[in-house]
Amino acid sequence: MNLGLYIHIPFCQQKCFYCDFPSYANIENLQEDYTAALRQEIAAQGGLFSAYVVDTIYIGGGTPTVLSVKLLKKIIVEVKQAFVISPEVEWTLEVNPGTVDEEKLTMLFQNGVNRLSFGAQSFNDCLLKKIGRIHDRRQSIETINLAEKVGFQNMSLDLMYGLPKQTMDDLKESIAQAAKLPVKHISIYGLKVEPGTVFAKLQEKNQLSLPSEEVDEAMYELVMSSLPQYGYQRYEISNFARSSFESKHNLKYWQDQPYLGLGASAHSYLDAKRFSNVANVKEYMQRISAGVSPRQQCEKLDAKMLMEEFCFLALRTKNGIDIEKFEAKFSSNFFSIYGHIIDSLKIKKLIEQDGKCIYLTALGMKYGNQVFCEFLLD
Amino acid sequence: MQTKNIRNFSIIAHIDHGKSTIADRLIEYTGTLSKREMEAQVLDQMDLERERGITIKAQAVRLDYVGKDGEMYQINLIDTPGHVDFTYEVSRSLAACEGALLVVDAAQGIEAQTLANVYLALENDLEIIPVINKIDLPSAEPEKVKQEIEDVIGLDTSDAVLASAKVGIGIKEILDAIVAKVPAPSGSTTAPLSALIFDSHFDAYKGVIAYVRVMDGAIKPGMKLKMIATNKEFEVTEVGCFRPALTNIQELGTGQVGFVAGSIKNVKDVRVGDTITDATRPVAKALPGYRGINPMVYCGLYPVDSSDYDNLKDALEKLQLNDASLLFEPETSIALGFGYRCGFLGLLHMDVIQERLEREYNLSLITTAPSVIYHVYKTNGELIKIDNPSHLPPVTEIERIDEPYVRATVIVPNDYVGAVMELSQEKRGEFKDMKYLDVNRVMVTYHVPLSEIIYDYFDRLKSSTRGYASLDYEITDYQTSKLVKLDILLNGDAVDALSVIVHKDKAAHRGRQLAEKLKGIIPQQMFEIPIQAAVGNKVIARETVRAMRKDVLAKCYGGDISRKRKLLEKQKEGKKRMKSVGNVEIPQEAFMAILKID
Repeated sequence: MNLGLYIHIPFCQQKCFYCDFPSYANIENLQEDYTAALRQEIAAQGGLFSAYVVDTIYIGGGTPTVLSVKLLKKIIVEVKQAFVISPEVEWTLEVNPGTVDEEKLTMLFQNGVNRLSFGAQSFNDCLLKKIGRIHDRRQSIETINLAEKVGFQNMSLDLMYGLPKQTMDDLKESIAQAAKLPVKHISIYGLKVEPGTVFAKLQEKNQLSLPSEEVDEAMYELVMSSLPQYGYQRYEISNFARSSFESKHNLKYWQDQPYLGLGASAHSYLDAKRFSNVANVKEYMQRISAGVSPRQQCEKLDAKMLMEEFCFLALRTKNGIDIEKFEAKFSSNFFSIYGHIIDSLKIKKLIEQDGKCIYLTALGMKYGNQVFCEFLLD
Repeated sequence: MQTKNIRNFSIIAHIDHGKSTIADRLIEYTGTLSKREMEAQVLDQMDLERERGITIKAQAVRLDYVGKDGEMYQINLIDTPGHVDFTYEVSRSLAACEGALLVVDAAQGIEAQTLANVYLALENDLEIIPVINKIDLPSAEPEKVKQEIEDVIGLDTSDAVLASAKVGIGIKEILDAIVAKVPAPSGSTTAPLSALIFDSHFDAYKGVIAYVRVMDGAIKPGMKLKMIATNKEFEVTEVGCFRPALTNIQELGTGQVGFVAGSIKNVKDVRVGDTITDATRPVAKALPGYRGINPMVYCGLYPVDSSDYDNLKDALEKLQLNDASLLFEPETSIALGFGYRCGFLGLLHMDVIQERLEREYNLSLITTAPSVIYHVYKTNGELIKIDNPSHLPPVTEIERIDEPYVRATVIVPNDYVGAVMELSQEKRGEFKDMKYLDVNRVMVTYHVPLSEIIYDYFDRLKSSTRGYASLDYEITDYQTSKLVKLDILLNGDAVDALSVIVHKDKAAHRGRQLAEKLKGIIPQQMFEIPIQAAVGNKVIARETVRAMRKDVLAKCYGGDISRKRKLLEKQKEGKKRMKSVGNVEIPQEAFMAILKID
């Protein structure tokens, strides 16, 4: 059976102003011990999952590339020793421009990492500064070109829209610049101000000037229309790729595939259970060294929840819900459960059906949450 | 227990004047409950009563007390609600008593609602014992309050008990005064049984439990009884008294207060105000019943989830068991589907029922704006009575509309008389009378449309007098007014449940306010929603809820689906509280918006 691995590196040089993910600046002193703890967990879990073939690996963060060449290599080597890895594996590592050099990229490439995801966010230096990024436009371009030179073929880039003071022209230019680079995949996100972030505090004080709803919507439309023109097709709500460069790992989240998370706060989905490791980095390390499981919040999904998630997650993808797959998995008739919802969503032009697939329309993608929550059963 | 050693009394007091505390102290002093069993406001059993510090349901308790003469007395306290809405409950309680304590706050003086209840007690020929409470307060002026009672009500206050229930002053004196002054029940122990039902409640195991005051004769288990009005017979399985928990006893004798159970399944068979008699030896005539109940305020109650319709019916029926003043009948709204038109004694009553339905029966409800009963005279000579604005006939068929007026009595410190008059004038009130109760306090009387009272008169009265004013009102008559129906259109369609009847001169203002208010309540949806207020075909106000631009959670990091799920669940919960009318989703509170504008 196939398995996806997610490995979390909770370190950052500086916390971005919009970020509420479990990543921390100013705990560099923990990097060495964290790596040791993580390797211990990798080794232990590898033993338990020997029946699985790992076909996707995603090392994310935080900023994995703030770790030294030495530490990164130790982690990668540990993974290869502990797990059975498919020769076809898609192995991604997140890179923040400005935190890698040729030596680090070469080490990654030689040790099996074959996909890089760059957190570029924008190519406007002024904006980058405003959102708390440590890199600039030049570094993004140079790093990506350098990675190509080292040998990476499969590269992805993150962009954001709806940023404070961002204009339509900024966004247009960033998209054009991204398309000029040798990247095969683009993830694009609208800014959402999350509680506890620097932006949330600024917003409280009325010091955050976000684009109006109308501009934000226009930006969304711009993204949707321009990326395909540059040859990137939308295969998931916020992901676009050139043909056959869709992220296999990313799709696992939506297609009901098992994945195992390793490291602080990492999430897993296995045997109808969702669980995660403790988010606190020190607690994670203490648990590992004490021989205690770092897992917490295990949620066993019952049949109802499995159906709900099967649907609202699948709907994020271009192909949507595969009715035959649903019926085979749950041994029940799809329409006897969701028929009336499907009908009403069709009337609202939020979904369409093509043979055995039910998928979001362009309008449905835009109002995804309105559709997804309808699939929660009473 | 001999009849001469029985005393039945109730307590009349304004909210916050200390009725519940006095009741607590009496229970404690007579040892009816031990200190350990005491809980503040023991007679207020509902959570709602404790939270709001009010009494909604009448309750009863039996106290044993050795009087000054060394004899044992059985004293029954029948607790009553203080709020104007619950006058009906008060009249029921008073009919079962021979006396009443009139509790007045030594610092506040008499309030409007107290007055109404005292008059009710006097009508029932009750012996009234004035109690000046809270004399420990620095601002207490017992002499002034006594004078006020003499001047306003005309009661002799030379024997008034000075008390502070909080610190325990005057409790024994109250008990002695009850023994000395409240007449013993006058019934005959040998006459055929007649007992007055003053309340009831439904017990899942015992069936309907009737709360009774025995006038003549006695009730024992095994007896066959008959209810005169409903003509139903039943066999007594249990009789008992309130201590304050239901406690079984052998016999409920002449003059006593207690309960009767007899596996009566249908609550409708036990009508509050009815007379119970011995089926084998019945009395010829029923006891005089109570003052009739006339709900004054009507509103629609609809389940948010239409599958809850039957549950709502069950819940209303259950509440009606203990609240005869609650009326309801099925009604249908184009916008809201199937629900009930409910009649209430007033706004607090409506609020309390709504909250109990939601809390105790776990129902999610939509309440439409309250309405009074309008008398509509049609051009064909027909008179129709309308408690639901959407039932108003077309303008062309209406000759005139009459609406209920009340005599509103406001007692207020004289500094605020101007504010009260200004407000009453604005509310289409007609000045009737003004009387000084003492140098500082004034009683103002206005003739005002009831619809204005239930709209926001009381709230505004409170705020414009910094909470000092007290209000009482009673319906006096019907008068013709220039009234029109104000409709609300959402996305071009009139929503029947949002219609209100308003005075013609106020329609434009109210329409604007309501449209503005709804704009703030109706959430953005996938399309733009015009909100229009209209009288007939004429649109008098317009607002727009702008379309939601997009709604999608983009980022899902590292497979954290649980977090996504929680967000969706929250969104779904929000949707559940909304009602789809046409293709517009309207939150529950929108239907009450008309009440909450200023």
